[in-house]
Amino acid sequence: MEDHFEELLLNLKQVVGFIFPNEIELHWGLLIVVYPYVTGLVAGAFILASLERIFNIEELKPTYRLSLITALAFLFVAPLPLLSHLGHPELSFEIFLTPHLQSAMAMFGFVYIWYLMVVLLLEIWFDYRKDLVVWSRNETGLKKYMYKILTLGATDLSDRALRFDKKAGKFITIIGIPSAFILHGYVGFIFGSVKANPWWSSVLMPIVFLFSAIVSGIAIMILIYGFTTLIRWKKFQMGCLDKLGSYLMYAIILDLSLELLDFIHRLYESEESIKIISQMVSSRLFLSLVIIQLILGSILPLVGLVLVRVRPLPDELRRLIYFGSAILVQVGIFSTRWNVVVGGQLFSKSFRGLTIYKVQVLGIEGLLMSIGLLLLPFVILWALIKIIPPWPEAETVVPSAAAERKE
Amino acid sequence: MKYKGKLFRASKEATGDLNAKVGKIPQQLKSLFVLFLVLISLFFLLRHFFTPDTFGKYGHYRAAAIDSIMSQPLRYAGAQLCMECHDDIYALKIESYHRDVSCEGCHGPAIAHTEDPSEFVPPAPRERGYCPLCHEYNPSRPTGFPQIDLTSHNPPKPCIDCHDPHDPKPPHTPEQCSACHAEIYRTKAVSHHAPLLCTRCHEAPEAHKDQPRMHLPSKPTSRTFCGECHAMEADSPKDIPRIMMSDHGIGYVCWQCHYPHYPEVR
Repeated sequence: MEDHFEELLLNLKQVVGFIFPNEIELHWGLLIVVYPYVTGLVAGAFILASLERIFNIEELKPTYRLSLITALAFLFVAPLPLLSHLGHPELSFEIFLTPHLQSAMAMFGFVYIWYLMVVLLLEIWFDYRKDLVVWSRNETGLKKYMYKILTLGATDLSDRALRFDKKAGKFITIIGIPSAFILHGYVGFIFGSVKANPWWSSVLMPIVFLFSAIVSGIAIMILIYGFTTLIRWKKFQMGCLDKLGSYLMYAIILDLSLELLDFIHRLYESEESIKIISQMVSSRLFLSLVIIQLILGSILPLVGLVLVRVRPLPDELRRLIYFGSAILVQVGIFSTRWNVVVGGQLFSKSFRGLTIYKVQVLGIEGLLMSIGLLLLPFVILWALIKIIPPWPEAETVVPSAAAERKE
Repeated sequence: MKYKGKLFRASKEATGDLNAKVGKIPQQLKSLFVLFLVLISLFFLLRHFFTPDTFGKYGHYRAAAIDSIMSQPLRYAGAQLCMECHDDIYALKIESYHRDVSCEGCHGPAIAHTEDPSEFVPPAPRERGYCPLCHEYNPSRPTGFPQIDLTSHNPPKPCIDCHDPHDPKPPHTPEQCSACHAEIYRTKAVSHHAPLLCTRCHEAPEAHKDQPRMHLPSKPTSRTFCGECHAMEADSPKDIPRIMMSDHGIGYVCWQCHYPHYPEVR
């Protein structure tokens, strides 16, 4: 306790201007930065998969299944930062048992269950069902039983059943796109609806969140596709990377325009908070907002991606630009989440002063915990890839029903 | 008998129709239906067995959570407990400007002191750096809040040499308005109104210095007051800006556009 007071006293010395006593310490820390970041990756990766499915984009085929299971891996981790932040993770299952219908925060449970159970798992199941059945027949030992359970007893491989799988998958994708919009739009809404906080309170917030989610989702797929292709010693499909690169470019342009619109809107409105917000942006958030989010995370990757489109460049260089841009975008989007969550708590509600936030290394809200939560989806993804390989060559060919009958 | 046979045929046909209809439902949907049924039943089963007993007693939360919060160790005693023994200090403080400052705000958490007064004695900050946490001059602090410039205010004496923290009124009454109204004083000092004394526009009763909020100073109430210097016909130095009182900003009082302590700003 005494250490805590000493820490507060140290923070107090760096406070600028006047703040209220309960504003020295931030209530939402690094874990709450990780939460919208991870949720954004889920929505982004799913929307990318849906684009391929609905518009039948041939070039994106190699990333379709990979995007779906990436979204699933990140979705499993999405609620963990929130549940850890509550301080009693061992009691967190109770919120799933006693859902609340009137709390905006509790709506996350419904949005999450809908998205997990009705959208993502169903779409993956319908897409993989044919393979699961074939694997359950061909594999041996424990794996055989695992696949058998995963088929849920639906082992029909007739043409009619396969056609139904496709139809159902497409139908779920169509439901899935608005669901993905709701999932991440909801996260933006949670911040945008806090009307007492001028940094958050904006109707554009859900839309900005959504587009930044799409940007981060496409970028993470470029990285995951690149990394998995490298470690499998496969040849890169440049058509796929070019398409992902161009989508990333359009998404960044849209996202950047929306954020600029929000910025101009705030400047033009010039509400009473504008002075303290300007002070915060030019001091506390200068590095994370202007340098990392805007210049490194948006403008630099955009320049690279435009360059690829206007000049014919060799494959090797194009790949480097795509991967470089994707890494920068990830850092930039993480910074965006940081600026929203931390920025909104740095200035006093008296609009007269700024407090400071220092990340702790240890503890449940610390840096190590956050790094762990950010690495966990990749471990889950690795396990998912082992169970349901998303590679095109792993896809099984079903002998036609007619041939089966002859046998 | 004939009738019975008909009925049997009809029911057989109906069952056959139903079977055909169920048969038409894809196998996948049947499996998923069963899965969802199992999951929903599982949810209700888990809810039945694992919802905490005291949930919902007072509201949409676990009533026992209140007990577990109450069982956390107490650190602060609260001013009421302090008062029970230190009633002399309480009586002094309740009449002073520090009446709303909690005892433990300066002395730190003191529950241990209430349990064993001799074992744990709460610290009392005596160094010069402590009081300026609240009273160092800061332009964003409210006007009228006592603020000092640490470098010029009696260095290096500790604050408690002159001020009793339980009744911190200044040892002698402030002589100038700037002692309390530092922000206004500093703003005015760089404006065209710098040479004017505060009393040129405000009449401050002597009691205002001791009880500032009980005896408020006056403020100008009409346009003609500013006109005493700024009207065309005013008897004032020639370099003062003049206006036609009859047509300049009719319907407004001057300070709706001009801030009197920095009149060049509109």
